Amino acid sequence: MATSNYQERELTVDGARVRYCRGGVGPPLIALHSVEGHLGWLPLYTELAHDFTVYAPIHPGFAGSDRPGWLESLVDLSRFYLWIVQELGIGKATLLGHGMGGWIAAEMAVMAPSAVNRLILISAVGVRPRKGEITDIFLHGADGSRRLSFVDTKQVADYELLFGRKSSVEDREAQLINREAATRYCWKPYMHDPALPHLLPRLRDVPTLIACGRDDQIVPGECGELYHAGIPGSRLEVIDRAGHFPHLERPVEFMRGLRSFLNLR
Amino acid sequence: MFIMRFTERAYVAYTEEDVRGSFRNSVRLTFPNRYFDPALGADLYNEYLDEYEFCEEVGFDGLMLNEHHNTPTCLGAAMNLEAAILARITKKPKIVLLGNPLPILDNPIRLAEELAEIDLISRGRLVSGFVRGTGIESWATNTNPVHNRERFEEAHDLVIKTWTTPGPFRWEGKHYQFRVVNPFERPLQAPHPPVWIPGIGSPETLEWSARHHYPYIYLETDPQVTVQMTELYNKAAAEVGYRPGPQNFGYLWRIHVQDTDEKANEAGKGFLIGNAGIGRVPMPGDFMAPAGYNSREGSRRILEQYKHALKPDALYGGVDAAGWDAVVESNRVVVGSPKTVIRKIKEGLEVLRPGILGMWTNDGTITHKDTMRCLELMKQEVIPAVKEIGKELGLPGPFEVAP
Repeated sequence: MATSNYQERELTVDGARVRYCRGGVGPPLIALHSVEGHLGWLPLYTELAHDFTVYAPIHPGFAGSDRPGWLESLVDLSRFYLWIVQELGIGKATLLGHGMGGWIAAEMAVMAPSAVNRLILISAVGVRPRKGEITDIFLHGADGSRRLSFVDTKQVADYELLFGRKSSVEDREAQLINREAATRYCWKPYMHDPALPHLLPRLRDVPTLIACGRDDQIVPGECGELYHAGIPGSRLEVIDRAGHFPHLERPVEFMRGLRSFLNLR
Repeated sequence: MFIMRFTERAYVAYTEEDVRGSFRNSVRLTFPNRYFDPALGADLYNEYLDEYEFCEEVGFDGLMLNEHHNTPTCLGAAMNLEAAILARITKKPKIVLLGNPLPILDNPIRLAEELAEIDLISRGRLVSGFVRGTGIESWATNTNPVHNRERFEEAHDLVIKTWTTPGPFRWEGKHYQFRVVNPFERPLQAPHPPVWIPGIGSPETLEWSARHHYPYIYLETDPQVTVQMTELYNKAAAEVGYRPGPQNFGYLWRIHVQDTDEKANEAGKGFLIGNAGIGRVPMPGDFMAPAGYNSREGSRRILEQYKHALKPDALYGGVDAAGWDAVVESNRVVVGSPKTVIRKIKEGLEVLRPGILGMWTNDGTITHKDTMRCLELMKQEVIPAVKEIGKELGLPGPFEVAP
């Protein structure tokens, strides 16, 4: 099977239509996107599809997926995701999440450690730094926070495609919906759950990789360190010359660390 | 006709450069408060209260106040405190609060108590307006903007119930939960102080106001669009079985009068600083309306509403493109001698037909001295004349005919 192939699918949970991309063969891996929304089938997914069946869902409330009316917080969203995984009928899955998606993955894992095979957190928010602050992306605005997200956008293949100014009405509408969803889930407390650090020791049996860019101006490196300190036996990878999207800015270095963690060839 | 006086109580001792130096060049939200001089602030609060106190003698039926946060454009960050002072130092005029921003409150019961005290101290002169607030109010209080309308409606229901339902009772809502609602002090006016809703014509709020029989106060909206928005209100009112009249509508208008047209034209330019701030530096859109603050359906409807009116020269906000003369020419701001002003007000009232007229007499860099002269001339000539025009045109206010 050509692993770059993927299909667009949907399932309905509690009356909400949730769309996702699926591709590859092997045990299940769920890739959870950041506040930027679903960026399509990323090269990272194509790589992972050699060894995993990759599921890349659109979060309920983001452009493309419905939100059940009762779902208001990031913790609600994480509980709902466990339900979605249950409905997918895929059993124990590896969770990979970026930014806010990392936060969701961590919440899901501490709620149901036995449902999680491995955990991969990329530039994850969710824990409150003690010394620094998670940059207020709402206050900086979409353009401002994007400027802070990369060391050098030229390092990102397809940067324009992924993040360039959207020309169509539908794309702009989608950006608005994504921003609104991020606001709903992450506004207060801003980008963190005060209880989460206290629950991380539950993940002692979940092999965990924490990856961050050394020059992330959105999420301070301290957040990665807090996850690392909180999850027994976790591995921390700090990637040079990368900002908030290390998997896009330094894909080779990022994949090297990820392969090593996953014991891939 | 009910005539009330308004000013935003501006603070203007800063420069355009200061604004451009603030985070995202914003005069609101992030404009550093080191530019506030407390000694000057103390003078200003007292000066503004003096003006409002004088307005009773001028003959205004109402003293209108508003509230904004984190901004030099409006010193009314705690409007209810000013209202409480006016409740005590004046005797006749209504105290019209347009309005308390409901969504930003975590404890609406406290608001019900404050307003009841104002109503009691003023011996029943409170008009209690409610607003959603601009996005800045959500930012300043860290209120999630996606819940703005839900919280507005729920807080409103809770305040009204607190005033009208014998306590103790229990409230288990989506955003508010209280197990013993039972404030001892109830308002003097029965069943509760009148509620008016100010706004710029958000269709959802217009319809909501109509369903509640609440007069809607247009905040200097485009006259043509205002007429269309009134149709929306009328339609929603018809659905619940009544026909609105002038008593259901108000219009807030910048009106500055001096002895001569020339003097008024010059002094009136101070309005330009008003709620735009020194330098009129455009504010980030997501400060005024963060994601989720407006429903997408609501945004679409309001854009549709304004589609025909988005000509810069017709809009007060387009002043930078159109120039002061165009704004004055189109009557979006009324400046002139008493004679000129009376004529222009009459022209406007004929089209808009509100039962409530808000006179925004001064703002921005208009001086206290010019303001006092303006109020003096209003007392001598403008208010008596506008009262007569109101009668002539058949424009009863909400205290003459129930809305």
